[in-house]
Amino acid sequence: MTTTRQTINHQRRVAARPTTAPPPPPVVGTEPAERPPRRRPRPEAEPPTGPRPRSRPRAALRGLARPRKPLLAVLLTLLLGGFAGYAHARANSLEAGAADHDNTALTDAVRSSQVKGGVTQAVNTLFSYDYTDPARTDDAAGGLLTGAAVQQYASMLSAVRADASKLKLVLTTTVTDCGLEQLDGDRAQLLVFADQRDTTAAAGARAGTDSEDSPAMFTVSALLVKGTWRISAITTFSG
Amino acid sequence: MSVAASVTMAARGLAVLAAAAAAWGGWSWYAAAHDSSAALAAGRDQVLAAGEQAVQNLNTLDWQHLSTGLSTWDQSTTGDLRTQLDQGQADFTKQVEQAHTVTTAKVLAGAVTELDEHTGSASVMVALQVTVSAPGSSPSVKQSRLLGQLTRTAQGWKLSDLAQASTTDS
Repeated sequence: MTTTRQTINHQRRVAARPTTAPPPPPVVGTEPAERPPRRRPRPEAEPPTGPRPRSRPRAALRGLARPRKPLLAVLLTLLLGGFAGYAHARANSLEAGAADHDNTALTDAVRSSQVKGGVTQAVNTLFSYDYTDPARTDDAAGGLLTGAAVQQYASMLSAVRADASKLKLVLTTTVTDCGLEQLDGDRAQLLVFADQRDTTAAAGARAGTDSEDSPAMFTVSALLVKGTWRISAITTFSG
Repeated sequence: MSVAASVTMAARGLAVLAAAAAAWGGWSWYAAAHDSSAALAAGRDQVLAAGEQAVQNLNTLDWQHLSTGLSTWDQSTTGDLRTQLDQGQADFTKQVEQAHTVTTAKVLAGAVTELDEHTGSASVMVALQVTVSAPGSSPSVKQSRLLGQLTRTAQGWKLSDLAQASTTDS
């Protein structure tokens, strides 16, 4: 807000004033030790018009200024110090108000869309399986998974693999919605809604193919590994 | 140096320090107040909290406390959704009173998918578990995938649309 900036600038100017102001005139009355060597003895002949008339009002001002200047500085210190304390408190409360500081979901737009795109693609690929081309899914899995998800995925898909060729199974997964719950650097957590369609054609079945759609929802943890978002865990809500 | 001069110097020094502290404090205040990503993060968290709460509210109803439940529905919604709920209220009340159902909901997970602070609109997705209990039968537990739209009102973010995530069948 401009008002805050103006306040700061104004306070800066106010604070700068005493330091940039010319140094105070030597305080004559209180420095008796320094006076004799400094003041050149004046010849009697010198006309009294020189410093005399000027020194009087100066001395009068000095008398007033001396107690005032430290006082002004003290007042400034109190005011500025007070403002400093208040401003820090406000800043802290504002920062505390931004509930989750480390979560850059949505606020980091580029990374948010990268991880959503990456995970959507990964889920679509990992959970799509064609009995005629199982290698395609297997090959992709290596580059899309990491950590615990490798084992997790293997056990998830073992049932599919076991019956795939017998049932002529074609499994197609389509992520319909993907939302970022948490994004913190190289780690992310996403909520995924997906539709799974499995098409089976039992050998010799008269009915031909049989399709079944099933809705799925789960949480995916993702990790950025060498520029690619990989799935590190999949959590379903069952149970 | 005289005592008075040292006092003046010390006072000035303190004033300069105070000025520096004030400038720093003012700057961090300004920065915190104008941190757009922090503001967006706070907005996102507000939307998520409001969205999850509203979705849960709309899936919570006890036939014995209908009026309380329905007024919570009203408070959680705005726009078209609120109009729809109000229109369907009479029929719905009759059904629930006859069936003596108690519906409770638990949010399993939620995420904000869109947020436009300027227009005051947002989208959320919520994974919900709904339990419906009726006398004489065991409670049924169902998970549902919900997509909600939120609209900012004078009383905060409210749900303006709520639908099941689309599936090819079901």
